[in-house]
Formats: sequence, structure tokens, C-alpha cells
Amino acid sequence: MSATMAPTGDDLQQIAEQVWASYLDTDGEKPLVPLPPDKLSRDVVAGVAVSGAWHGLVLVSCSTAASKEAAAALLGMGADEVTVGDIDDALGELANVIGGNVKSLLPEPCTLGLPEVHNNADNDPWLEGDEICRFEATWMGEPMEVSVLEKPQGGETA
Amino acid sequence: MVIDDSRAMRLILRRIVSGLNFDVVEAGNGREAMDRLAELDAVPELALIDWNMPEMNGLEFVTAVRADKKYRGMTLMMVTTESEHGQIVRALAAGAHEYVIKPFTPDAIVDKLVMLGLIPDGAHA
Repeated sequence: MSATMAPTGDDLQQIAEQVWASYLDTDGEKPLVPLPPDKLSRDVVAGVAVSGAWHGLVLVSCSTAASKEAAAALLGMGADEVTVGDIDDALGELANVIGGNVKSLLPEPCTLGLPEVHNNADNDPWLEGDEICRFEATWMGEPMEVSVLEKPQGGETA
Repeated sequence: MVIDDSRAMRLILRRIVSGLNFDVVEAGNGREAMDRLAELDAVPELALIDWNMPEMNGLEFVTAVRADKKYRGMTLMMVTTESEHGQIVRALAAGAHEYVIKPFTPDAIVDKLVMLGLIPDGAHA
């Protein structure tokens, strides 16, 4: 990948903040704070594969508590009512929207895969790859991270 | 009609267009939307269509709808993360009337509907 085509952490921050403002913080009361959390979490990792002129993954990683709050906000329900299916749907859509916007910064042509959501993904082979950039934040006191992994061309992406 | 494989996104779009006095029918992909269309007594005035969906994607749905004369009166609006110029051109060439890129605000959807003449300017204020 050429340096001019690589998304940066600043790009991820801008995209994530737009997504939060549109869907998770519409009244401005629950902003995504661009401060590294005390402890990163990969309790829940949602991602979309990008393939074509570039191969890799765009990921949204967070704690279980943050995933429940995100699903509750998107689906208009209480966090205590959220099911695993709700989390998969909501986090998958966040990854899809963020991934689509990241794709526009990557070499063309690329296609976006359908979102996948993995739990307790610390040693998940799906997440193997070279990290290109990362944005770490805190949301509602919980860790939230957006990252981009590049995979060797022709390698497994999903 | 709201067509998106994400339940969360269908809910967000449903809230917006319900607030504009549209009755909403949902589908989780293009194939399901074609099935729902065949069951409905009246052709929906508007379809908000995601691009990346399983079974039948949004572009395939637009192409299929445009190939059928009975759906001629349906306004098709892509609502998708696909933001590259070439993708927008493909969708419009296939027969989509408008294109909204995710993430969007409710106002962005409303503005497009005003532009398309589906709601009067100021009706949503």
C-alpha cells in the first residue's frame, strides 16, 4: 500500500465521531471521547473484510458493557434487554458503516464483505494481520477501539 | 419500504420515515423485498435500499425493480456505505433516483425526500 492511500488514526477518529454523532450520540450527551481507555477490551469484535486492490479488515472492538450500550442505543431499548443477537446486529452495522467509509480511503477497486462479530477474540486467528492504524477511545466509561488490519494479498480475509 | 440486512438500520430508517407519515414495510435483503412487493396490494411510493446485503444486494434489487413495469412509480433511494463515485454512478445508471451515504442524519434523508417531491418542504419541521 502506498503511504498516500493508507488511512490514519485521525481518519478513523473522524469517521467514528461522525458515526457516533449520527447513531449513538444524537443528542450530544454520550460523546465518544478520544482518550485511550485504561484498558483495551476485545470482549466483542465486529469487523468487515475488504478485498480487491487491498485486503484486510476494519474492526470495532469494545467491552461487553459498551456493546450492550451500543445495541441499546441503536435499537431503542434498555441495555438490560439486549440479547446476543441484538449486539451482533448493532456492532455489525457499526463495523459496516465505519468499514465502508474506510474503504473510500483505500486503493480502488475494493469490495466490502458482510459484517462478522466475534466474542472474546484475543487469540482469534481471524484477527491476524498487520495493523495499519488505530483509534482508541472511551465511551460511557468503557473502552472502544477502531482499527484497520492489512492481510497479505490473497490471504484469508473473512 | 426499508430494505437493509441490519435490524438496527431498519429501525433508524423506519423512525425517520414513519415520522413523515409513511407506512413502512421492511425487508432484510433484496430477495425478501421482491417477495414482499409481490404480496402487497399497492406498490410502495418509496424504497430505501442498502447495497451490501446477503442473497440479493441493493444494486440487484434496483435492477430487478426497474425491469418490471408495474413498479415504475416507485422511487428508489440507495442508503449505503458505498461512497465511491463509480458505485454511485452504477446505482443511478441502474435506476436509483437518489443516493445517501451512511452515516446520515435524519435531515439528510428528509432533504432528499423534499428534493424528490415526496414530501413538501417544511412538512417535517
